Amino acid sequence: MPSMDAISRGLVLDSLREYAKRRLPYDVIRELDHANEFPAEILKEMYDPAVLGVHLLMIPEEYGGVSGGTYDICRVCEALARIDLGIATGVFATFLGTDPVNVGGTQEQKNKWLNRIARENLLVAYAATEADAGSDLINLRTRAEHVVKNGKIAGYRITGNKQWISNGGVAHLYTVLAMAPGGPSWFIVERDMEGFSPNKHEDKHGIRLSNTAALALDNVYVPAENLIGLEEGKGLMQAQAVFGYTRLMVAAFGLGAGWEALEQAIRYSQQRIQAGGPLSDKQGYTHKLIVPHAARLEAARAYIEYTANRLDGGGHGLQTEGAIAKYSATENGNKAAEDAIQALGGYGYTRDFPVEKIKRDIKITCIYEGTSEIMEMTIYRGRWQEHLKSRGRYHLDMADGMDRLHTDTHDCGAYAAGLALRALAAVMEECRVQKLTRHQHVTFKLGRLIALAETAACFARASAPGRYPDSVRFDAAIYKALSRVYAREAALTLAVEGLALVLGASDNSSGLDAAVNLPAVQEAQKGLIADMDLAAAGLKTTFKAK
Amino acid sequence: MIEVSKKCIGCGKCVPVCPFAAVQMVDRLAVINEACTLCGACVQVCPVKAITINREEASARRDLSSYKGVWVYVELMDVPGGHGKKVRPVTLELLSAGRRLADELGQELCAVLIAEKNHGWEKELGEYGADKVYLSEHPEFFEYNTDIFSTAVIGIINRHKPSVMLYPASIQGRDLAPRVAASIYVGLTADCTALAIRDGLLVQSRPAFGGNIMADILSPTSRPQMATVRPNVMKIDEPRPGRTAIVVREEIKIDKGLRRVKVLERKLAHDKAGTRIDEARVIVSGGRGLKTKEKFRLLEDLSALLGGVVGASRAAVDMGLKDKTHQVGQSGTTVSPKLYLACGISGAVQHIVGMKASDIIVAVNKDPNAPIFNVAGHGVVGDVHEILPKLIDSLKKKGK
Amino acid sequence: MNIVVCVKQVPDSTEVKINPETGHLIRAGVPSIINPYDHAALENALKLKKAYGGRVTVISMGPPQARSVVQLGLALGADEGVLLSDMAFAGSDTWSTSYALAKGIAKIGKTDAIFCGMQAIDGDTAQTGPGIAQQLGIPQVTFCEHVDIEGKNFIARRHIDGGHEIVEARPPVLFTVLVPREFRPRWPSFPEIHGSSKKPYHVWTAEDIGAEKHYLGLKGSPTQVSRIYPPPQRDKAEMFTGSPHEAAEHILAIMRKGQFIGD
Repeated sequence: MPSMDAISRGLVLDSLREYAKRRLPYDVIRELDHANEFPAEILKEMYDPAVLGVHLLMIPEEYGGVSGGTYDICRVCEALARIDLGIATGVFATFLGTDPVNVGGTQEQKNKWLNRIARENLLVAYAATEADAGSDLINLRTRAEHVVKNGKIAGYRITGNKQWISNGGVAHLYTVLAMAPGGPSWFIVERDMEGFSPNKHEDKHGIRLSNTAALALDNVYVPAENLIGLEEGKGLMQAQAVFGYTRLMVAAFGLGAGWEALEQAIRYSQQRIQAGGPLSDKQGYTHKLIVPHAARLEAARAYIEYTANRLDGGGHGLQTEGAIAKYSATENGNKAAEDAIQALGGYGYTRDFPVEKIKRDIKITCIYEGTSEIMEMTIYRGRWQEHLKSRGRYHLDMADGMDRLHTDTHDCGAYAAGLALRALAAVMEECRVQKLTRHQHVTFKLGRLIALAETAACFARASAPGRYPDSVRFDAAIYKALSRVYAREAALTLAVEGLALVLGASDNSSGLDAAVNLPAVQEAQKGLIADMDLAAAGLKTTFKAK
Repeated sequence: MIEVSKKCIGCGKCVPVCPFAAVQMVDRLAVINEACTLCGACVQVCPVKAITINREEASARRDLSSYKGVWVYVELMDVPGGHGKKVRPVTLELLSAGRRLADELGQELCAVLIAEKNHGWEKELGEYGADKVYLSEHPEFFEYNTDIFSTAVIGIINRHKPSVMLYPASIQGRDLAPRVAASIYVGLTADCTALAIRDGLLVQSRPAFGGNIMADILSPTSRPQMATVRPNVMKIDEPRPGRTAIVVREEIKIDKGLRRVKVLERKLAHDKAGTRIDEARVIVSGGRGLKTKEKFRLLEDLSALLGGVVGASRAAVDMGLKDKTHQVGQSGTTVSPKLYLACGISGAVQHIVGMKASDIIVAVNKDPNAPIFNVAGHGVVGDVHEILPKLIDSLKKKGK
Repeated sequence: MNIVVCVKQVPDSTEVKINPETGHLIRAGVPSIINPYDHAALENALKLKKAYGGRVTVISMGPPQARSVVQLGLALGADEGVLLSDMAFAGSDTWSTSYALAKGIAKIGKTDAIFCGMQAIDGDTAQTGPGIAQQLGIPQVTFCEHVDIEGKNFIARRHIDGGHEIVEARPPVLFTVLVPREFRPRWPSFPEIHGSSKKPYHVWTAEDIGAEKHYLGLKGSPTQVSRIYPPPQRDKAEMFTGSPHEAAEHILAIMRKGQFIGD
């Protein structure tokens, strides 16, 4: 999809923020969270093209939308998550629900449905998940049976139950995955079709402003023209095709909510005086609860934006990249939110401050659109193939790239990121030689290590001169310091845990300790505290106490 | 230089508007004589844009050393109840500041008085430091009008060439000064809070970015060096009774056609006691902490007992606790009473710039870390809702 | 009715701090916004357009990224946008800025009214509007709370020291507008923003508007900033904590000492 120009994107983000400032102050959100209430009026306003028209972002211009690109959508998702992850999820559900039409619909179907969604401000839901079918959609139980009239397939009768469907109880339109005689297929189901009924709104740990409900389909008749793509059996492919960027949206949620929590902590730390000075001046506080999270979230941001730009540039699939982005951003966001509670101490544990709610909300990002463990597996699977295909060169080539970058820009973290990538390549090669991937634990752990090393490399590239992204709110010196902090962490984790992983699975590491180059990794830790000091001071001036 | 091009159609509109009778019609073409002060009044009325002033030459012509004297624009105000006009107190502040600058430079301090009729004001202006008063009287000066007053001021400046000219940073001064500066291509610094002379140049200090930073500004290449000065910032020196200023009359012709904006109606809001907030001796001010309109009335009771005026922070005004005429701060009024009592005001920067010049500042706030305590001389940590009634009671008892 | 609105992109002033060592402004992380007074001016102009028809052009001067505030005006309903952008403008003070904007407005064509914010929150000078009016030789009405049209004339309610007045002005005239009480600025929707990127938009250089370079930039500006520094800090207050009664007595003592009340 074409991307918006930077100015228009900036205005879109401004309008969204201003809307939230005006209509969704924290006490309103807090009240809705407590009442477990879906803010129907707010969503209606947000869809109103005279107020925001947020759903138009992912509908192409020719169907009445505004043709937002992946990068644009990610930025909006980040901003939505900063407001409230429940509301964000409500908007995202429409994006997601519209996706099967966008990806697999015929020209005629796109004309009809995308135009209707755009014009009538329809809330859409994406109904794939079932009690026994989450990421493993192959166990799908919902059935779609032919209804034949005059020797032709006139329609389908769908029967089955869907679970945990966002917007489930409030949507106007549903894209439902069902097993047709020709295989899994997507169908467009309208709310008022006979036999269709949503269940009650779930009582959830977080994102309580998002409506989540189970759906019951009892012999629901759907005309044949509602089969997306007019061809059976394409459902899983259509679902897979969008993961690259739907997971990127959830990644942006983790990034936005995580940063919101962290920002609250940074601002708070300047007001709370302890032992004669503000917490923001104490390393015991900043270097544990603030700076590492800022570094990890910015690494995730760099990776999200890198992947989004590749998708906007015509890149296809990018499922491994989508998984790395989601895994890094949501896991790091979740941990940042947890430490934000710690950072606010007793206040953080009360509902008077938003961090408590953010912590509850953000957990879902590690679960929906594929759990973190599914991400670890996906990342491992994707890169393991690359490792084999390239005869172990995949990450070594990436490391060479880091060394070249380091020659030009010695202070962007490229050196340590290169060490991390070389350690990764050595560990993966050792796993291959010793056939250690027969242990599922090894494969999932490799997924985690791959994500860490590759995000470090991506962060180093983003912080090189001339590449400074417009989404970053602090200046280049601080950004680079954060990249160095993160690259050191990546190198150390890769070397120590990679070696330990191999040793734990076999008693022979055959010189792997030399290959992960622990002495160099340790040498690279020099200057860590100075960088953290720099970052802590920079974060303080950027996010001043209000 | 001023030039009349061939585009002149001989309509004659420029002749009556010239304040200095410098335009004549010769053979149905406008001709400009040496009485011209380059004020530009004719340029503005010419329907075919035939008259141009080449400022480049005008500025190259300037010999900066020939510009001498510190001038102060005299702002007049209506006396409440329709009792004529008086000199606005801010003018006296400017005279005190201007006096120091003039002494430093070893030059005269002059007041520029544009009035329908002078009421012996040169005595008051003289007592407060003016050596000379440039006085221009005309019926058309009955009320302030941008076009008419700027034309007059530009004319007098061009004739007598001052080195420094100060205006109050009031609505009138801020309307007039930029108009004059634009016309004669000179530097103008807005809202100064301090003035000094360094190496013969006027150093103009002013807050910027909502008071978060200060800047020193110079106008080294043009004269006069012009500044508007915040009311209630400069202290008024003791007057010297009997000291008087020489009056220099400036003849200026004003054409009615110059009055392009007409005032249809004017309303002045005065406090019940009749004192304006920027001239109050005591101000009792409230902020967000007062919470309701009823609670805000406590401030009015207290202020009445002290003979003061009620002020409000922007937050209180936005909450509708008090109307905007009482707002103290950057976007409201700058005040400098002898006593400023801040009740339930946290002390946003924009409020502080408007009241920090007060002599004695007493702040009451629940939060011991409220920024208001950074500017207050006396801080009281406590709940205004509990303290105010006690204060009022004690004062009432004393009154009996 | 042709209206031109002048807008400026400013840093969100309340967050600007100064580095005490270098004396430079710390601008990192400070978002750029439309000057709120200009936002109010824009909405007043667009209201007139909605009620009486006509054409609204938004003009700004600044670096390329200042397009953002021009496009905001287009998204809110203006018809055409102009950005004066040229290295020659860099460092212009209010005199040079007024000169350039006046030249730009003259190039736009016949104009009945110019709307400016009363002042910009980064400088608070309130000089650019009157400067433009003088350069163009048209009258001005400053510090307007609201501007409306009656017949062929404009009627404005303007703030004056201690009150307000209602004035009447014939076109062409320049208004400077303050932020009305409880002003809730409107922000454009996504489709409005999308549409605005397709409206006529021009970037003009100094040469395009026929501005003479010696009037522009640092060199053409009659004022120069010689130093910036943090505002002086006052000494901390003498603090008092006690019961409400004690607090009241404490305040009375201060008032007695200052002779605001009798003994």
